[in-house]
Order: sequence, then C-alpha cells, then structure tokens
Amino acid sequence: MACQMRTMFFLILAYLLLTANPEWSNVVLGAAVAVLVMALIPRTADVRECQGFLKVVPAALQYGVILGVDLVKSGIQVARIVLHPKLPIRPGIVAVPAGCRSDLGRALSAHAMTLTPGQLVVGIDESGMLYTHCLDTTDAYASMTRAQETRAELLQRIFLSPQ
Amino acid sequence: MQTVLFEILAAAAVITGTFFSVVGVLGFIRMPDVYTRLHATGKVGVFGVVFLLIAAVIETPLGWGKGLFLIFFLLVTGAVTAHAIASAAYHINIPMEGKGDAGRDSGDTPPPWEPRA
Repeated sequence: MACQMRTMFFLILAYLLLTANPEWSNVVLGAAVAVLVMALIPRTADVRECQGFLKVVPAALQYGVILGVDLVKSGIQVARIVLHPKLPIRPGIVAVPAGCRSDLGRALSAHAMTLTPGQLVVGIDESGMLYTHCLDTTDAYASMTRAQETRAELLQRIFLSPQ
Repeated sequence: MQTVLFEILAAAAVITGTFFSVVGVLGFIRMPDVYTRLHATGKVGVFGVVFLLIAAVIETPLGWGKGLFLIFFLLVTGAVTAHAIASAAYHINIPMEGKGDAGRDSGDTPPPWEPRA
C-alpha cells in the first residue's frame, strides 16, 4: 500500500508540474488521473520493501546536491582545459570499483560519472568495475574512488533503506 | 523592479549557456580522439542547454514545470548517449590517445567486461 501511495504521489506531482495550475479542482483532477493510471498498472512486481519513504528524501537530496556541485566543478575544469592554449590533457582509462552490488546502483553510479564532464564510463564488468575514460588521469584514481564511495553509500541509503 | 531582476537573471543564463556551448564546440574541434571529444560535447548537453532552458523558463511562457521536466530528461538521457557512443567506439577498436588503459592490455584482447569465449 505504501508503495502505491508513493507512485501516486509522483504521478500527481508530475501532473501538477506539467499543467502548472495549482488550483484545487486541478489537484482533484490530477488525483483522478493518477488513480486511473494506477488501476491500469499491473500489480505483479510488488514484492519490494517500500518502507522509510521519508528517510529516503534527505539522502536523495544530498545525492542531488553532491551531483550538482560535481557537475559545476568539473564543468569549469573542462572549460579551462579546452580554453588553455596548450590543451593539457592526459587521457586514459581508469578502473574504479563501483562499491554496490545491485544492477540499479551500478547503473546509477555509471550515469552520475558519465554526466560529469571529464569522466566517461566505457564499460562495466561482472565484478562491478567501472572502466572510466578520464580527460586528466593524474591522481584521478584516488579522487574518483573516494567520490564513488560516498555515492555508493548514498545510493545504498536511497534504495535499500533499512526500515 | 522584479521584472528587471528577472531579465538580468535570464540574460546571465543566456550568456552562460552560450559560453558553455561555444566552449563545447571548440573542445570538439581541438580534442584529438573520439573519447576526449565526447567529454567536450557532453558539456554542451549538460550546461549549455540547461542554462538556455532556465532562461526560457524565466523569459517565455513555457511554465517552470515543463522546463524542470525538460532539464530532468535531458540530464537522464545525455549521459546515456555519451556512454553508448564511447562504448561502441571502444568495441570496434577505435584507437585512443594517451596511456593508462586499465581496460585492455594489448591490442587484441577483448575488453574485460565482455564474456570471454
């Protein structure tokens, strides 16, 4: 039940964002649409634990903020490299351990790394190594492993929230 | 007063977005190989278009909800396309500039994330 409430909450939120009309009648209409959509979704894969929804929110916010800060920092760094007259790049592939066992966690880690300019995940092997192409490989391994550890811990808290 | 503030914000967003787009294209021209070029073009996707969308949300009757959705989907899909291109380039052995290749030892071995025959 909690799981369905969560899905409904996001459906209503999406409806309100798209219509950009926070009047009560519109909220009720959005709720009606959400109930209709929920009725059409097959209810088979409802095995996962869905408790601790409120505990997930701070972790998700922290994940977003960290991702945003990383994006801005490395974006400025790459812009500086591009505009530098000598083009000081040292490209190469670095293997970074993902640190999470689930496929979803690995995929989201790879997504966050690829989104950051200067890092580009080329492949993932079965043991969870992220083969990452870096624009600047000087001491990339240490900083990237550290960043990945915090990210893996946050993802753990978001998706496998302990009660 | 408030409209002036919003117009300044929108102008700043347009300038930032255009700057990062130009830097991205410049990087695309200057970088030596596929992988490094993808780093540069990824910046157009992440910064250039996002800042231009912020300006559009402020200045045009787009609605901030739709703008947020566009930014969200752009951020979700942009990384996936960059990864797909890089992965394909690596699989068909497009040569790479520089050293430190932890993925492949010599020229002929397949990358380690592929199931070995």
